Amino acid sequence: MFDAAQRTIEQVQGIVFETSLQPVLFQLGLMDWSEDVFDGVAFALYGALAVVIAYLLCRPLELWRPVERWTDRRGVRTDIVYTLVHRLGVVPAILFLVLAPIGVMVDSYSRFAGYIPPEIEQLVTPLYNQPFVTFLVYMVVLDFGEYWRHRLQHRLPWWWALHSLHHDQRQMTLWSDDRNHILDDVLALAWGGTLAMLIGVPPGEYPLVLIGFRLIESLSHTNSRLSFGRFGSILLVGPHYHRVHHSIEHAAAPFDRSRGCNFAVILPVWDVIFGTWRQTDDAYPDTGVASLTGPRVRCGYLRHQWEGFRRLGAALGHLVDRRRPSFVAAFPAE
Amino acid sequence: MLGVADAARATTAVVLDSDDDALSVIDSTTYKEVSRTHIGRGPHHLVQTPDGRTLVIAMSGSNELVLIDRVTGIETKRIAASDPYQIGFSPDGKWLVAASLRLDRIDIYDGKTYQLVHRLPASTMPSHIAYSRDSSTVFVTLQGTGSVVSIDLVSGKVNWTKPVGPTPAGIVTRPGGTLLVGVMGSNYVAEMDPASGDVTRKITTGNGAHNFLAAPDGKTLYVTNRVAGTISALDADTLAIRSTIQAPGGPDDMAMSPNGQELWVTGRWRAWVDVIELASGSLKTSVPVGRSPHGIFVY
Repeated sequence: MFDAAQRTIEQVQGIVFETSLQPVLFQLGLMDWSEDVFDGVAFALYGALAVVIAYLLCRPLELWRPVERWTDRRGVRTDIVYTLVHRLGVVPAILFLVLAPIGVMVDSYSRFAGYIPPEIEQLVTPLYNQPFVTFLVYMVVLDFGEYWRHRLQHRLPWWWALHSLHHDQRQMTLWSDDRNHILDDVLALAWGGTLAMLIGVPPGEYPLVLIGFRLIESLSHTNSRLSFGRFGSILLVGPHYHRVHHSIEHAAAPFDRSRGCNFAVILPVWDVIFGTWRQTDDAYPDTGVASLTGPRVRCGYLRHQWEGFRRLGAALGHLVDRRRPSFVAAFPAE
Repeated sequence: MLGVADAARATTAVVLDSDDDALSVIDSTTYKEVSRTHIGRGPHHLVQTPDGRTLVIAMSGSNELVLIDRVTGIETKRIAASDPYQIGFSPDGKWLVAASLRLDRIDIYDGKTYQLVHRLPASTMPSHIAYSRDSSTVFVTLQGTGSVVSIDLVSGKVNWTKPVGPTPAGIVTRPGGTLLVGVMGSNYVAEMDPASGDVTRKITTGNGAHNFLAAPDGKTLYVTNRVAGTISALDADTLAIRSTIQAPGGPDDMAMSPNGQELWVTGRWRAWVDVIELASGSLKTSVPVGRSPHGIFVY
């Protein structure tokens, strides 16, 4: 069944590319982009499939045991727009048309300088015929990188200004994972892509790695009373575990907003190792950033993106001149 | 280690699934894929060594050449080589040239020892390779700049770089010495003077003219037209179009069955290999393989 589904996606990818996109590339004189665009179609299709799977998996959980019920779901609708725009359009475009060529350029210079990225199968030869195991190894290493990127998103004031867009949602649902500023997404792709290049993740596999991350992250943002228990919460990030992270302003000492807790994206073991793991038993705290409320939080996609630029500007202004207010102080609660 | 022993059989097609990092083996009598093996990163093209004993697979992603014994089908060696995409031996077997499409350079190796002799930057996207009949010169298409570069193999110096048309891909040397180039960004094959690099003739074949295969009898030259989804059969002497064969799915590399009755062509966009019966010029069957099948070799 899995093979049949994969075969179907491949055929849809081929038909979409061959009948819709290749003629356009040909007419525009852009045939040297054909393979990149072909791969981009696969990424968008798998991204769409991941959205469908996430919905089928997580939405029943939200209906079954929701943490919160809302009559006004405008905030959720904005996150749906985020998901569709970012997963199917903006992120694939940035990844394949902007970052991939930069990655190739860096790769080229490094190879001319004598650095050839290692291949994990060459280091661990039994992995040659175990592509799935190799894939999992890459996921673990990249998840480690994601843990530290997430820590920096909270630690660095300018990065927190961007990342606060993700955290200011008070109606956290399965759609909230993609609620990110576009610059934050670019940084995330550059961060993950650089690490992937350094450890030799094949360019064709990196989009699949991203989709694997997205599925877990959709689950972890689900508005559901679902906990994996004390033991399970060390194995995999789930809705309860991540909800505690989104309640960081309410977290008790020794955690505070700038440091936070439960930063892991897939594997909580990183929080355990680095002392940021926190369990609150059955508590399902409110989510959001206390100082960020009102229309600048409960707004549409474009206004929310503009809000991100404003917050970043304030944070950078404060960085340059400490007399200026930081972004939270610049935009007090309404 | 790779489990490609199936390739030892007499009736076998080997296909490189470039997006799946895999090598597919097809039983060419039943037209079934009998194995698909993870072989490394980014396998795109393959050639046989001049003595015909070994298949050399260029792994652009994992930076190596994989050598497979043609008789036993067993992998015999992996040789480090930075980003080989398209490879080809010179007619005298003295040189092996590798085009690095992703990293914009051309590597010239000793054809017997695989030692790097020359490394040249190539602007940009060096793609396909052809040699002069005396093995003194290699010609490489440059997709990104719509040109062809001529390089002296002994000195590693560039003889000339000349425009040929948008996004040139396949290139072959005709028996008379002139060059034919598939101009993928347009709908024609360009004939070039190998001494001057001047385009002397354009033969319209179909949108996305891409790659070539000469029939064993030397009378027909096949050209894949990737955008049109066709294959043009040209008279090898006059370059007049004899027939056009339908081959949807992004036709790319071709191979001839040993009996000369079937043309096998990889369909890049549809993850299949088309088998075309040449007598009728019609599609006999399509064999599903891995994603983005590229290079093909039929025993």
